[in-house]
Amino acid sequence: MTPASLRGWRLVHRWTSLICSVNLLILCVTGLILVFHHEIQHLMGEELDTTRTEGQAHLPLQSLVDIARKTDPALVPKLFSVDPDDAGGNYIYLGAPGLRDFEDGRWVVLNTQTGANQVLKPPEETLTGFLLKLHVDLFTGFPGQMFVGVMGILFVVSTVSGLVVYGPFMKKLAFGLLRFGRGPRIANIDLHNLFGVATLTWAFVVGLTGAILSFSPLIVSYWQNTELVAMAARHTEPMSGTPISIDQAAQAGQAAFPGKDLAFIAYPGNNYSSDRHFSVMVRGHTELTKRLLSVALVDAETGTVVETADTPWYMTVLLLSGPFHFGDYGGLPLQILWALFTIVTGVVTVTGFIAWVKRPRSRTAGAEERAVAASKEGSKA
Amino acid sequence: MTGVWCIPTALALLSLLGLAAAILGDGVWHWICWAGLSIPLLVCAAKLWRQWPRAMA
Repeated sequence: MTPASLRGWRLVHRWTSLICSVNLLILCVTGLILVFHHEIQHLMGEELDTTRTEGQAHLPLQSLVDIARKTDPALVPKLFSVDPDDAGGNYIYLGAPGLRDFEDGRWVVLNTQTGANQVLKPPEETLTGFLLKLHVDLFTGFPGQMFVGVMGILFVVSTVSGLVVYGPFMKKLAFGLLRFGRGPRIANIDLHNLFGVATLTWAFVVGLTGAILSFSPLIVSYWQNTELVAMAARHTEPMSGTPISIDQAAQAGQAAFPGKDLAFIAYPGNNYSSDRHFSVMVRGHTELTKRLLSVALVDAETGTVVETADTPWYMTVLLLSGPFHFGDYGGLPLQILWALFTIVTGVVTVTGFIAWVKRPRSRTAGAEERAVAASKEGSKA
Repeated sequence: MTGVWCIPTALALLSLLGLAAAILGDGVWHWICWAGLSIPLLVCAAKLWRQWPRAMA
């Protein structure tokens, strides 16, 4: 690598890191707590009632929808969702009739066996909801979410450029050398290098998946406006009779994908379906396949499946980004490891910032060369 | 591969193995995940522990 290109990579690393550092620290602090959101919800009594008795059948889906509607008769059901990790809970989204989007509605959570229902509190009213909102969009909605996504991309560029500049810097230094006796700047650079390179793969994966998740409104919207619209456009017969029940739609959709579980059902007339069809989404059973969805378009009048499809690659990438960002797929030990990695990433951010603050004030190329020479000299000490 | 990259590459591969393992299955896959992801953290802790300036502590 030529000195000029190395200087270029250093500039990229410095500025991408500095720009995203404040947001990254917010993400580290909130993410560190959110890793344990189930445990926190349990401690604070915010856990939903999804207890179930083995062997007892769940209520028909239509009964659950009817119970949900009683919470606000002015609203109509738009989505019926099944929790993949908790078979005792169903989520029903109620929204204003006639609207295709999901504005101004509410989620109702029901126990599948007892029908006990709870309206989900607004995020600001629970600790984990508050932290999640801060983590996802800084309480600024869609623009905030896009901002966090851009910060995520900068962080990914920062990790890649950090790896590029690591090699030349460490050429004459032993791996993991920490020179605490050489002043705060050298000590912070050494800590930054050791912690950064040791946790780089995790940071890269979590940063990249976080950026992908931040752009999820755009990705899902693209899927809705292309694949789902094209599916619906191939079946445009107007609705004339009485619609089938949601149980019949679920049965038809699941029959099209034997062995798969119900993930969610979109009622006719919203962004995930057509005016005449239910969209029945199903998923697999394993830790991997339960993240992947397939869709069956079920005619709401005849109950027949008119078309089936798997989600396109970009939706698969989005769906698989969830576990690799949240760290919720390997039990409590993985959650603890996720938290430790998050702390180390915070330390890498802070040590990098300190090293920048304590940088030599001369910005000439010669000064940078002297800094590298100093690091080489340090290795001999 | 030069000496600079030997340990970082090994840690990166262990991290990748750890990240992938638990999504591929349960039981032993979870143990592989925990072990793979623990090693980079243990390396950081060991390096810090061994070089921490004791006289200042």
